[in-house]
Amino acid sequence: MSKKYAIFITALFCSFLAVFLAANALTPDQEFSELENRTLAQRPELTLKSLASGAFMKDFETYTTDQFVGRDAWVGAKARLEALMGKQENNGVYFCDQDTLITRFDTPDAQQVATNLGYVEQLAQKTDVPFYFGLIPGAAEVWADRLPEGAPNASQKDVIDQAASAVPSAQQVDLYSVLMAHKDEDLYYRTDHHWTSLGAYYGYTALMEAMGITPVPLSDYEKTTVSTQFYGTVFSSSGVRWVQPDQIDIYVPDTGVSVVSHTYDQKGNPVEEPRALYDYSYLDVKDKYSFFLGGNQALGVVTTSHTDAPKLLIVRDSYTDSLIPFLTAHFSEIHLVDPRYYKGSVSQYIQDNDIDQALVLYSVPNFVSEKQLVWISQ
Amino acid sequence: MIFSTIYFLFLYFPIVLILYYITPLKWRNIPLFIVSLVFYGWGEPVYLFVMLASITINYLLGLVVDRYKRRDDDKGARMAVAASVVINLAILFFFKYWDFIAGSLEAVGLTFMPKLGLELPIGISFYTFQTMSYTVDVYRGDGHCQRNPITFGTFVTLFPQLIAGPIIQYKDLDKQLEKRTHSAEGFASGVQVFVIGMAKKVLLANNLGMLWDVYKATPVAELTTAGAWLGILAFSLQLYFDFSGYSDMAVGMGRMLGFSFMRNFNYPYISKSVTEFWRRWHISLGNWFRDYVYIPLGGNRVSKGRHLVNLLVVWALTGIWHGASWNFLFWGLYFAVLIIAEKFFLLRWLEKLPSFVQHLYTVFVVLVSWAIFAVEDFGQMRGYLAAMFGFAGGGAMNASFGYYFRSYLPTLVLAILACVPLWNGLWQRLEEKKPVVLRVALPVLLLGGLLLCTSYLVDATYNPFLYFRF
Repeated sequence: MSKKYAIFITALFCSFLAVFLAANALTPDQEFSELENRTLAQRPELTLKSLASGAFMKDFETYTTDQFVGRDAWVGAKARLEALMGKQENNGVYFCDQDTLITRFDTPDAQQVATNLGYVEQLAQKTDVPFYFGLIPGAAEVWADRLPEGAPNASQKDVIDQAASAVPSAQQVDLYSVLMAHKDEDLYYRTDHHWTSLGAYYGYTALMEAMGITPVPLSDYEKTTVSTQFYGTVFSSSGVRWVQPDQIDIYVPDTGVSVVSHTYDQKGNPVEEPRALYDYSYLDVKDKYSFFLGGNQALGVVTTSHTDAPKLLIVRDSYTDSLIPFLTAHFSEIHLVDPRYYKGSVSQYIQDNDIDQALVLYSVPNFVSEKQLVWISQ
Repeated sequence: MIFSTIYFLFLYFPIVLILYYITPLKWRNIPLFIVSLVFYGWGEPVYLFVMLASITINYLLGLVVDRYKRRDDDKGARMAVAASVVINLAILFFFKYWDFIAGSLEAVGLTFMPKLGLELPIGISFYTFQTMSYTVDVYRGDGHCQRNPITFGTFVTLFPQLIAGPIIQYKDLDKQLEKRTHSAEGFASGVQVFVIGMAKKVLLANNLGMLWDVYKATPVAELTTAGAWLGILAFSLQLYFDFSGYSDMAVGMGRMLGFSFMRNFNYPYISKSVTEFWRRWHISLGNWFRDYVYIPLGGNRVSKGRHLVNLLVVWALTGIWHGASWNFLFWGLYFAVLIIAEKFFLLRWLEKLPSFVQHLYTVFVVLVSWAIFAVEDFGQMRGYLAAMFGFAGGGAMNASFGYYFRSYLPTLVLAILACVPLWNGLWQRLEEKKPVVLRVALPVLLLGGLLLCTSYLVDATYNPFLYFRF
């Protein structure tokens, strides 16, 4: 190696480091990653305490990767490279047939599943209104034939079967059979973990069957497409940027349904915030699924014009958001409890609000990993 | 701090280079010592005190050894060396082996040693070995007594090789601590070694590690024979590329700072015997045990029985050095048996066989050894080994084996190709015949490697540090 050439290589390496050192110093930090749909780590505060405990260093590491200049491009490039190297998954997301991304479902923690089922059983025993329990199989189960060949995939049916025997005090809602019967339809988003409005419709028919109500036939609705540019959460975590966007459809028109989200301010005073069955403002941002009921809320109350119909309470995850439109025809009020944020007694709430029927409705992947269900057994 | 991170590569290291090179030549150990302390304190700041205490004690004992030697008081000098060895081993024992021994005693009903649950200070097995080599080398006259505490501190804390080696003996670094030459040629060659090391760690080792983790987490009852072999193959390659990648990065950064460190790995997987494998694997550790344990014990210039004992001692220590757990001891003794067998008869037999049989034998026994190394729990280890030898709960293979095999095949092929010296040879031949091609290829490869590594580091979902047990 000649001296000149060695200087060139040295300069090349040093400039590479210098360019990124400078770029990272000069570009302002971002609060939120639209593409990844999460808040990004911020520069940690340097204190003697955080330094001594090592917390500063840990946070600093996340901060540097989260705020690295051009992060989105690097993440996308890595997913591309993985695919190029023959990988059929990235960051726990399978690259599936029919332009679909599906989150891996691994054998759940048996302890957590048994505990959570126990909490549901306790709630069922505490309430004296008709009580229903439904577990929604996720895309990995229903669309298993789209997964890469031989891809490990734990059975969600096993969890559903276990639920039937572990929660005898509730009437089971058989979502599995109805979704499996329609598995060739667009039941889930290709880029998001949620079910589509069509999937939710079939879920609705299963619930109605359990409740002994005749569901509205699908042909009575008129399908409206509200967005064709939806990239969901699975898209976000996968790093895969080469799939087509999803479209969001609705079947039930909003005919004056009121939605109120109840929460508390920092002093503990109750606060009411109006929501809507469909919040069109979310169609302009990345998180388009929040179009349904405006996203996460601790406690939501949906009031319909059918004042003499019964009142339903649902302990639920976000799958229920897109199910609600179908339910509005059959209930006067639907109370939505998310135990991740709502820390009151659910059985007390049922008594206080003259609830007529109660339902616990979760997707299997959310249910088996939920750590806050203890609250519903209070 | 870990090399294969965004903040190391794009913040810490550039700052180190700037501080180092703006300091006048004769003062350069000062910034080096300071940044090395920051590097060490980054993970577990409390253990900086252990580090500083170790530096102080060994620095002072070095002076004592030197003083006695000047007075020709061999006994006194020996005492000081012994004190240093005892103190270093006591530090190592306390932090690394206390809980292991307490736990083992507890298992047989003795509870007089309470478990302490201390976090293992990172790199402690590396730096205590280096500080021990210091007083011994001063005593033996292989190295000079270091009177400047900053220089001595720099020797102990030198960040490129602090936490994962190579274990540098004082006599090899002695002169470099006082005087280094800095040249563009040295820096540029360091860049090449560094980028190769980074690519080994980030692109190969981390990827293969994910495959190994799948099989490590598989319950024994569900393991398949094919899966068990795929898993252990992945681990073998992960450990090699992780460890040698780390060493390469150390060597590379050392060269950028004007040092020249020994290479720690020399294509171990092309060995034709276990004896050869250990001459090529973690060379600095083997050298250390040779120079400071095996030879002082008499090596092979003793009776046959004593020679056997010496070998067993060295290999038991080598095993337990890798982690305070019975499986590591077992792993060391496994190699002791093989090496003794090779010394006394096996090697003579092997040499008569075709070379591919010798390679096959070596790869086979080494892969089996990694199963002992990687699976700590004996019950699980038995299950894993049984699965490898056809007694698998899950049968010969299953669909998920097919999935993982297909998914990782290109990576595995690439990794196996990277285990042979062919490419290095080709590169050198090209350098002689067509230097122009290389002059274009080198910057492209370097930049390409750095960019690929960066994308994997930014989306770092998996970036383990394997040597926290060492």
